Amino acid sequence: MAIKYLHKYPKGKNARTLWVLKPMWVTLKKMFKTTFHRPVTIMYPYEKEWIPDNYRGRPGLKFDECVGCGICERMCPPAGIKMIKTDDDAGKTVLRPQVNLGRCMMCGYCAEYCPTNAMIVTPDYELAAYTREELIYGPRKLAWPNHTKMMEVDIEEHLMSDLNKGILNRTVAFYNIDKPELVTEKCIGCTRCVKVCPTDVIEMYTVGENDKGKPIRLPKFELDKCVCCELCVEECPKDALWIKEVL
Amino acid sequence: MLDGLLNWVSFSNPMDNPFYAYGDVYNLPYDIGYKIWELIGGTLAWLLNLLFPDNGVSSFLVSDAVMNALAIVLMAVVIFAVAFIINLTMIWEERKVLGRMMDRRATRIGPLGYFQNLSDGLKTFLKENIMPAKADKMGYMWALSIVIGSSVLIACMIPLSDRWFIVDYGTGLLIIFALFAIAPFTILVAGWAQNNKYSLIGGMRAAAQLISYEVPMLIVFASVALMAGSFNINEIVHAQAETMWYILPLFLGFVVFMVAAIAEAERIPFDLPEAEAELVEGWQTEYSGMKWGLIMLGDYFRGYVACALGAIMFLGGWMLPGIGAGPVPELVFLLKVFLLFFIFIWVRAAHCRVRTDQILNIGWKILLPLSVINLIIVILIKMTGDMPWDMVIGLIPWDSIRGVIPWQ
Repeated sequence: MAIKYLHKYPKGKNARTLWVLKPMWVTLKKMFKTTFHRPVTIMYPYEKEWIPDNYRGRPGLKFDECVGCGICERMCPPAGIKMIKTDDDAGKTVLRPQVNLGRCMMCGYCAEYCPTNAMIVTPDYELAAYTREELIYGPRKLAWPNHTKMMEVDIEEHLMSDLNKGILNRTVAFYNIDKPELVTEKCIGCTRCVKVCPTDVIEMYTVGENDKGKPIRLPKFELDKCVCCELCVEECPKDALWIKEVL
Repeated sequence: MLDGLLNWVSFSNPMDNPFYAYGDVYNLPYDIGYKIWELIGGTLAWLLNLLFPDNGVSSFLVSDAVMNALAIVLMAVVIFAVAFIINLTMIWEERKVLGRMMDRRATRIGPLGYFQNLSDGLKTFLKENIMPAKADKMGYMWALSIVIGSSVLIACMIPLSDRWFIVDYGTGLLIIFALFAIAPFTILVAGWAQNNKYSLIGGMRAAAQLISYEVPMLIVFASVALMAGSFNINEIVHAQAETMWYILPLFLGFVVFMVAAIAEAERIPFDLPEAEAELVEGWQTEYSGMKWGLIMLGDYFRGYVACALGAIMFLGGWMLPGIGAGPVPELVFLLKVFLLFFIFIWVRAAHCRVRTDQILNIGWKILLPLSVINLIIVILIKMTGDMPWDMVIGLIPWDSIRGVIPWQ
């Protein structure tokens, strides 16, 4: 590495003198420059650097837009998010994320993967606290009142099929196109998926009667509102549901 | 006597005191100490006289002998306090200038960051005081005491002007140099006593460094003394005021002195005994808490002494050419000291640490011949007797310059 800057070092007959004098000249020049202009130091507590609108500080939460799907909990790389039960404004018990900022590495994946953009990245980076308990931010504490459009982060990708067809400018989010599919033969009609669905898009409907005269019920998906959270897939006792990935 | 007691704020002239030790030479710190004791002791005596009229203690407190004794004690305090404040200012200067040379801001506590030293001292004071179990207690503590004590002693012995001194030694330069050279030897003892490999290597390096720079430095001292015809600091300064600053004829000696002084003060290009990157903190590794703080303070005292000697020997001390002492000669002297210390800081910012073999090469192969050449120049000047700069001085219209200066 020193070889890289070798041409900058003094050579020749006066090399030894220059090795002593040249750094003196450089430091003197630097001193005058930094005395009449300002040094590179930013006086941090008194002045702060400009940060962009989508700066990835601690995660924030729009409480009312969150559907409690738990994607953020599963996507969080250091496992810092936990879904907890809490009361919303109407007094109903709902699931909302709780972030342990002692674990958070500010990657912003929770905001990227959030299907409703309820999870946002905030410009808040001054997070020091005296105890570890103070670093666990509940759903209400995660709120960031003056959030802007830029704080919402979307993850969108090109589809291979689109690229093969020559469509280069279309990007889609996986939660808009990947949808659950039902294997009708396996379904036993237990309605667990209906209970677990955070967006209430699953309805049970009757398709006929069995040998004993009981109705055969199957889930029906209203796919426009589905956010592809896979909770129904995980909950299904007979593995009758799967996510059809659009490629 | 009662009149004397009631007029306790009279601020009498200390030179009227029969015990005044400096003859007919005015001594400012003695005067300050004398007047402080006139305030304190005079107040005490006045109050006691109010309570118990015509008692013996009151007249004892303001008698000539007691006044003189306590004035000397207070004078010592004043001189140390001033040297200490100079030292703090130099540390502050180093921090600020070094910061700018490194493209950063420096300390910011207090006005212009001046109080950073005080907070550092407080922090060091609160640290735990540890002594290694297998250290040689005697050598450990005595070496520390001698390093700090000799550094502070010579810093207090530096006269700031012909009125700010403790004793006007006939051999002032020699005594200061002798005390200056004690510390590197005790560093070797300290390195040995700590029972630590880093300390021992640091102490050995101090010894290796000592033999390489002491000889050229002593020759430069000798050449300056020969030039001035005296070892007395006052006479050296006045000799320069009569002719010219010795930096011009003895520029070679000045360069040799600065290099050797940096080595003597153990500052960056020659801080082999400390070398915090290689040896943890060198010979200071096992000194913790305020012991280390005092060592650092002593280091800067030695830096101050080195700069002050440079100002005395080469920059004309507290005199300015053509002007003389001026109204505040102490300030002139300190400005020169800070200027020389700026060169120390500049070298520190520019250069990296030399190796042990390199400093031996520099000392024996470069500095020693240069100092001998310097001595030869002095001898030639003294032999011819005709100062080569007399002609140059004759061209400058000193009388017209003196005419516009009010205090001459």
